[in-house]
Amino acid sequence: MNIKRMKHKRALWLFLLPGTLLYLFLFAYPTLSGLFYSFTDWDGVSDSYRMVGLGNYKDSFDSLVFRKTLLNNVKFMLSVVIVQTIVSLVLAMLLSRNTRTRVFLRALYFLPAILSSVSVGLIWSFVYDPTIGMLNLGLRGAGLDSLTQNWIGDRHIALYAIAAVQVWAHAGQMMIVFIAGLQAIPGELYESARIDGGNRWQLFRHITWPLLAPASAIVIAYTTIQSFKAFDLIFVMTDGGPNNATEILSTYIYHTAFGNYEFGLASAGSMIFLVVLAVLTYLQFKALRTDRAA
Amino acid sequence: MAFKWLGRLLVLLYAAIIAAPLYFVLISAFKPTTAFFADPLGWPKPLTLENFVALFDQQPMLRYFGNSTLVTLGTVSLSLLLGSLIAYAIVRFGGRIGAFFFALYAAGLIVPTQVNMLPLYSLVRKLGWSDNLLGLVIVSVALFLPLTVFMLTGFMRSLSREVLEAGSIDGASEWRLYVRIAIPLSAPALSACATFLFVMSWNDLLMPMLLINGNSKLTLPLALMQFRGEYVTNYTTLLAGVVLSAVPMVVLFLFLQRYFIAGMTAGAIKG
Amino acid sequence: MTGKSGKKVRYLLASGALALTAVLSACGGGGSAASGSGGDVTINFLHWRGEDVKALDTIIDKFETANPTIKVEMQTLPSDQYQSTAQAKLSDGSVGDVFASFPGAQFDALAKAGVFTDLSGSSFLDSFNADLIAAGQQDGKQLAVPYQLVYNDPIYNVKLFEKYGLTPPADWEGFLALCQTLKDNGVIPIAFAGADIGPGQFMNTMVMNNEPSDDIFEKVEAGEAKLTDEWWVKTLTQIKELNDKGYFQPDALGTKDAAAGALFVQEKAGMLASGSYQLAQNAAQNPELEQALLAPITVSAGEAKYEGVHTSTFMLAVNSKSKHPEEAKKFLEYLSQPDVAGEYANATGQNVTVDGVSYDSPELKVAEDWTSKKTLFQPRFTIKNGDNQKAVTNSIQAVLGGSTPEEAAQEAQAVIDQNLSKS
Repeated sequence: MNIKRMKHKRALWLFLLPGTLLYLFLFAYPTLSGLFYSFTDWDGVSDSYRMVGLGNYKDSFDSLVFRKTLLNNVKFMLSVVIVQTIVSLVLAMLLSRNTRTRVFLRALYFLPAILSSVSVGLIWSFVYDPTIGMLNLGLRGAGLDSLTQNWIGDRHIALYAIAAVQVWAHAGQMMIVFIAGLQAIPGELYESARIDGGNRWQLFRHITWPLLAPASAIVIAYTTIQSFKAFDLIFVMTDGGPNNATEILSTYIYHTAFGNYEFGLASAGSMIFLVVLAVLTYLQFKALRTDRAA
Repeated sequence: MAFKWLGRLLVLLYAAIIAAPLYFVLISAFKPTTAFFADPLGWPKPLTLENFVALFDQQPMLRYFGNSTLVTLGTVSLSLLLGSLIAYAIVRFGGRIGAFFFALYAAGLIVPTQVNMLPLYSLVRKLGWSDNLLGLVIVSVALFLPLTVFMLTGFMRSLSREVLEAGSIDGASEWRLYVRIAIPLSAPALSACATFLFVMSWNDLLMPMLLINGNSKLTLPLALMQFRGEYVTNYTTLLAGVVLSAVPMVVLFLFLQRYFIAGMTAGAIKG
Repeated sequence: MTGKSGKKVRYLLASGALALTAVLSACGGGGSAASGSGGDVTINFLHWRGEDVKALDTIIDKFETANPTIKVEMQTLPSDQYQSTAQAKLSDGSVGDVFASFPGAQFDALAKAGVFTDLSGSSFLDSFNADLIAAGQQDGKQLAVPYQLVYNDPIYNVKLFEKYGLTPPADWEGFLALCQTLKDNGVIPIAFAGADIGPGQFMNTMVMNNEPSDDIFEKVEAGEAKLTDEWWVKTLTQIKELNDKGYFQPDALGTKDAAAGALFVQEKAGMLASGSYQLAQNAAQNPELEQALLAPITVSAGEAKYEGVHTSTFMLAVNSKSKHPEEAKKFLEYLSQPDVAGEYANATGQNVTVDGVSYDSPELKVAEDWTSKKTLFQPRFTIKNGDNQKAVTNSIQAVLGGSTPEEAAQEAQAVIDQNLSKS
């Protein structure tokens, strides 16, 4: 029996081997060399560089742009996570039953998720154009001139306008996750609660929400990571402008590394980015765990 | 009753929000450039195919379709093979070893590509794998492994332990268990994961841009970039390209919709 | 049973890995072997001008006919991507035996990395206008040859101007009056692409007479002058004035290049804040359009030192890591011939730095007329640090977004100071 187990274990190690080798070699190793470069002044092009210790980390935190970027990133992430979770949950609850119309609508809602984010950014650049864009034209057509905005040109609005596009592109995908979760909740639970005189809100609070916890965990985790890594959208739509109003960490890293030739500084930015994201993910994980346990 | 109507209203409103920009892309792809700026929202008159003709005229789009298909199929199948082996091993190991490997891959999920693209580039270049479609496939597989392992492990955890334990007591080898039991039972998760990877790989711009040099080896998203100029971009042609490159995905999605949902179900319940 | 399967797995994995390596090395080797064996040489030509591909294809065909042993493979990347991926590839020589680079920050970084082959002394340099190719020199060496000549001065609609009896003004008062007349007649005075290219293009003519020197930004980057000094604050104030008086289209900050161009092409705007590079494109979209260039003079007529701004760009170079430098130079030499340069210019609508080229379209002639004017090399490209360059254009976006010129200048200067303290 023991010998057999050992043989099994050996086979399992072999299962892990090819993928893990590939992963360590082509993913982990380049990522760790990023850590190394964060202590250098490499420009990304030359053959030589100097070690500068923690200088890049200090410069990052000293930089006004970097601090603005961090703040932007938090705003962007919070608005996407909150809005996308609510939108996809509401949609899921409205479309959870399988009827022909509902299945069609689900497919429609999901559709943007299969477009590349470069395409989505391009499309929305035109939608948001103040003069020829369909959004302002539509508002004017409906007599709502006062609602027209300089969507991606106004520094107070631009970040949220892009967050809205992110939601547009991915809420349908997250809705599907919620629907899956909803369909797994046994109908009898609702029946008996209704007999006990529970109203809509109570049903949601005490049955739907707790039982959806695993689905919410997935949705929130995915959305956080997605919103943190949102690069293509911003790159195509505003490239971080106007005046850095939409610069987030991923675009900042890109600009620093390739626009300013400061690969070392950009790597330091990436490492800070990684730490922030890891902490956030961990906190979320913990929060959702305790929520489920309670 | 009021609730029900409010719900219907919301659902239709959201449908309009999704559909409007898509409508805009579709009509623009069939418009001449001048009409695109003069009457951005109007129905294209005359309805023209010139944008699509221009696409095929200026670039060997069929070959790029072929390249994209090759790279995507290669990436998806290799990712699923390696990813499912790893996920299976993680679940079977369980305990500390399983948790370690799961964490190792999950950590990869949060690494932004901007961090490792330059070191990755110089590594691939040293190996002599750049400007090579197969090299692109292998690099993409490595980059997609965190997501693949994450999704598949989530599902395989939900496979009843007893089924596998029973199998191993029967004396079946791990390989046999994997092929005969784990894989068939994971079919919905594999197909859901496949669809995910399909979309990601088909749309990927950064890796092909980094690794592919020759014009004959471009993938579709990279080919579309050739239609962007420094100052002059024919946007209707570019949007026609957007439509064209999305067609295979839309078709695939329409046929495989239920797999998406089935796979997501499994992940969402067992979390 | 178990052992057998274990072996099977191992065998499978091992053979898979072997096969993979075999295929990879076969594919990798295949390309280079093919190019070496027949005596034929393939050189790669990398640039960012997607709009020139057709014209260059024709030229390359002719070059290949004239030089049957050389093949030219051309690849383009959009200019925003050109900075990132192209650079990595250029610096190890995997692409771009012949390649284009931007003047300013990119040229400096590539020069520092030793990517350029020194072209000094090559006979084909004589075909060029010596003043215009200075942007490709460093420490007395000609590292790259600017091929295109661009006048970064706003374009205006000649017929519209005639209709309202307007002529290019000689001072700032005149410019404001001109804008007001257009506005009073329901014409947008200036179409301004504030979301992308607008600030970077328009700042040049706005600053050229407020600080008439060719090294002011060099001084800023050396810490010898500040953006908070009078010349830049004044420039920002004047741009803000144009915006506040409604001389740009509404919401100019959210407008992109294509949409701003459309306003001008549809004759809804009298001027377009871009440059001569856009003349041909505008003409293609509206053949009725009659266009000319005009630079706003931001001072009194007597104080104006420069009449406009020019840039020589699309700087062609030979990669120092190229395996085929001779063939690459041959291609450069071919492009320098006046008739070939003329063919390129007439097919793409871009003026060139090669002497003795005959231009055949009215748009190219418009720009050609400017060669006799006193123009300054584009100030924005004299900013060598990308971060600083962005801080400068950002300060323009900031005033358009509601900041005061002083605030905006201070914010930009803070970035410059920070970069100064780094080095």
